[in-house]
Amino acid sequence: MTLSSKKRDSLKRNADLCIRCANCMAVCPVSRVTPLFPGPKHAGPGAERFRRPGELSVDEWVDLCIGCHLCDSVCPAGVPISELNLLAKAKSLDERGRPFRDWLLTHSYLYGWGGVLFSPLTNRLLRNSMVKRLLETILKIHRKSPLPDYQSPTFRQWFKGRSSRGGKKIAYFYGCFTNTNEIDVGKATVEVLEAIGFEVVLPPQDCCGLPMLGNGDFNGAIKKGRKNLSSLLRTIRSGMEVLYTSTSCGFMIKHEYAHLLELPGSEDLAKHTFELFEFLRTLKESGNLNFHFKKLPVKAGYFAPCHLRALGIGFPAFEILKLIPGLESKVIEADCCGMGGTFGFKKEKYEIAEEIGKDLREAIDRLNPELILTECEGCRLQIRHLTGLKVLHPIQILRDALRSSSDQEVFDVGDALKNKIGLKS
Amino acid sequence: MASFPIRFVTGIEAKGNILIFLSIAISRSEPSLISLTSWDSIYIKLLKKSIPHSSLTKGMNLVKRWKRSFFQIIKMGLKAEVLIVGGGATGAGIARDLARRGIPSILIEKGDFASGASGRNHGLLHSGARYAVTDPQAAKECIQENRILRKIAPHCIEETGGLFISLPEDGLEFRDRFLRACEKVGIPTQPLSPEEALTLEPELNPHLLSAIHVPDGAIDPFTLVLSNVKDAEDHGSKFLLHTEVLSILVEKDKVKGVRVKDLCTGEESTIETSFLINATGAWADYFLKSLGLRIGIALSKGSMMITNRRLGQRVINRCRPPSDGDIIVPNHTVSILGTTSIRVEEIENFEVTPSEVSLLIQETSKMIPSINGCRFIRAYAGIRPLFIEQGKQNDRAISRGFVLIDHEERDGIKNLISITGGKLITYRLMAEKTSDLICQKMGVTISCTTHSVPLPGANQSLALRERLKNLGRKEILCDCELVKRDEVEKILKNEKLKELQDILHRTRIAKGTCQGGFCIYRLLGLLNESGKDFGDSNKILKGFLEERWKGIHPVLWGSAVKEEEMIEGIYKGIFNLR
Repeated sequence: MTLSSKKRDSLKRNADLCIRCANCMAVCPVSRVTPLFPGPKHAGPGAERFRRPGELSVDEWVDLCIGCHLCDSVCPAGVPISELNLLAKAKSLDERGRPFRDWLLTHSYLYGWGGVLFSPLTNRLLRNSMVKRLLETILKIHRKSPLPDYQSPTFRQWFKGRSSRGGKKIAYFYGCFTNTNEIDVGKATVEVLEAIGFEVVLPPQDCCGLPMLGNGDFNGAIKKGRKNLSSLLRTIRSGMEVLYTSTSCGFMIKHEYAHLLELPGSEDLAKHTFELFEFLRTLKESGNLNFHFKKLPVKAGYFAPCHLRALGIGFPAFEILKLIPGLESKVIEADCCGMGGTFGFKKEKYEIAEEIGKDLREAIDRLNPELILTECEGCRLQIRHLTGLKVLHPIQILRDALRSSSDQEVFDVGDALKNKIGLKS
Repeated sequence: MASFPIRFVTGIEAKGNILIFLSIAISRSEPSLISLTSWDSIYIKLLKKSIPHSSLTKGMNLVKRWKRSFFQIIKMGLKAEVLIVGGGATGAGIARDLARRGIPSILIEKGDFASGASGRNHGLLHSGARYAVTDPQAAKECIQENRILRKIAPHCIEETGGLFISLPEDGLEFRDRFLRACEKVGIPTQPLSPEEALTLEPELNPHLLSAIHVPDGAIDPFTLVLSNVKDAEDHGSKFLLHTEVLSILVEKDKVKGVRVKDLCTGEESTIETSFLINATGAWADYFLKSLGLRIGIALSKGSMMITNRRLGQRVINRCRPPSDGDIIVPNHTVSILGTTSIRVEEIENFEVTPSEVSLLIQETSKMIPSINGCRFIRAYAGIRPLFIEQGKQNDRAISRGFVLIDHEERDGIKNLISITGGKLITYRLMAEKTSDLICQKMGVTISCTTHSVPLPGANQSLALRERLKNLGRKEILCDCELVKRDEVEKILKNEKLKELQDILHRTRIAKGTCQGGFCIYRLLGLLNESGKDFGDSNKILKGFLEERWKGIHPVLWGSAVKEEEMIEGIYKGIFNLR
């Protein structure tokens, strides 16, 4: 763990600010479903009073913190609860040693190309129940957990084949998942941005490091952070803003690089990094956004991922989606899907993740939408797994609703459009 | 009320002969510890077995009459070989020492155990180094007892080690005297460079000139006293808590007994005794007043402050002559800053003043600068009983040694002994010397064993880590100190508790960040649920909150104010407490 000792001390000192109000206990998705995790108040500032530097950790239960940051966002005293948990988790894992499984789950960027290259085979294998059983026995990855498919070509490869349109340049941080598993999110982003007159640039980029951080691997996260920073800082210094579509990657870049990891230059980067819809909202507010939408009579549920909430920028995608005529979108009133990045894949945590997601599933059942929209890839996997519904990134539906001049034939044809986005089968 | 000790009943075959049963039971049990209600149920059970149904009522009346007369006899006739007054470390230590020598005693305490200075100190396992320069005799006693306690009471001790640090304004002159003095009295010291000290304790003032490592430690006074009590009880001693001495009955040159009052029931009775030991600590002179005697005890108030977090892992002392705010003791989850020394006249009503709070922060923050911004959860004070020798004007100059007074020599009262002064850490030595004197007066020679026989519970750990480890597995009653519900239920079941404070003394409940704000109502609920009745819950709650407020308001600023506002909101707004 290479977090500066000054930072660590200041985090620990901030535990003193806790006023024991238990707001965090009321929102914690984990302690709500299992007594094994004592809840943020006990696990964070409470347990901090019992931890001694130089003593071996005894609080293995802290590994159950899903890292959703909901506790931080409701804390009236400003205690960095989830960060205290993360420090304790990292210490405990440093001592106990990390399972190979955790390494595998957090280093998908290393083998993602392989998955892409042999995607027909990998996808078939990953769906095979025997393979899943094997994964569970050998790697402790739960056999029911929703492993993602790989898609070929990658987003980056697809992008290379495009001819640039010109216009104001804007950088896009797409993230590993968009690159190898859900390339349509990237495509949609590029198409929408180009439609409103930007030229999209893909700066060199690596995994943001959040998976490592979430698994208490500060070293790994800092390495990734440094690498991304050097590339992205160059990008912003050349006058570009950086947009992201994955709220998890975004939270890492915008918040954790600066706030927790204190990486040099990260504050600068944060000022020029925006969530895609946040950026669109700003354009709209300044009157620079002229969308022409088709009518899209779809009933959609919008779920706000934890990291979006933690970013504190409201629900910009939801606001923009309201502009689409006919689209009936409602916010799904639930706190957490249970996936927590890599949390829900793990054998020992799968049931907890499933239980956490129950609330969300029930909320979706009540809403009865045809389609779910959410920015986080983890949430999308989990919601598909929980409900079997079609789950998209909001940018995908926005792209589909955009009336482009070359797209006259689908103008105002709701059913055809629905077919296109795969709602009718 | 405590319940009838059921072990007496189970061993007896009560085949209808109530009289035999009653006589056995009464001769073997402690009168004031018997609950009338439990008695009744036993009577009725036995009556049902022995007396035909029709004569049940008649029998009941008869039994009631017997009961009354039996109790009368007991009240008149409770006798003790040795009667100890004062349930602090010294009193409990004497009870244990005597019991271990085969001399059973009765101990009377007007509150709970460790209610006085024994429970109101900074929990320091003295190495004696603090007194090495100014009071070598006390220092010698401290280091001897330090070594003994590590052996006999490891479960009450955290072997933290301690540092004596010299700051630029102190110079090194005192340090050199200090090192020589420690060597003289046999306190092992190890000089450290400032860098070494800062590696051990990163929060220390980085400008320190030097640090000396000494075998200081942290001790849990409550566990220490209760372990002594447990051992004494196992060896035949009796303890009457919440029982106040009303008067001492003297006949010619001998104490005959004392008149006592059970503060919970209001019942008065007389206890006869062959020897009376005054182990009342700060109350020593107050206790002797009715006899027209006076030892000459100076009451010195020492105030302390508790931080929310533990600031360091070792005891930090300032290497200069003893003065205010020169020590920081890590204890369980917190650190305790001490102390002041202010002469007071009253033993019961004292509080920590704002100037003391400022002084403590100002002085201790010179050793650990982060104290300036850290959160405090409580301030409290204890009264040191200091024995005034001729010519010592300053309380800091009065010896921390103890005084054992044989009133036969001093005042001509044959069987009265007073023991006071001293330190928590020398309680065992004080008990040993007192017990020696009793034995000498009795004309027996039985040697003391308390220095070698471990206290009960000595094999248990301090369990701080255990509590953290088990978090999430059991229902928690106290959030801050992670006290489990079943821990409290066990105490309620096994011990004869009469007051809320008794529970608080036996657990870590209300000793954490919220000082009971969030757990005391849970505890009252638990009491209610388990049928333990300490009286009107509202009144108890109010009493607790008032007591709590005394400790909190001297250190109420910053985030503590926010928390206090919320707690007030809970009690006033939700519970409608006025």
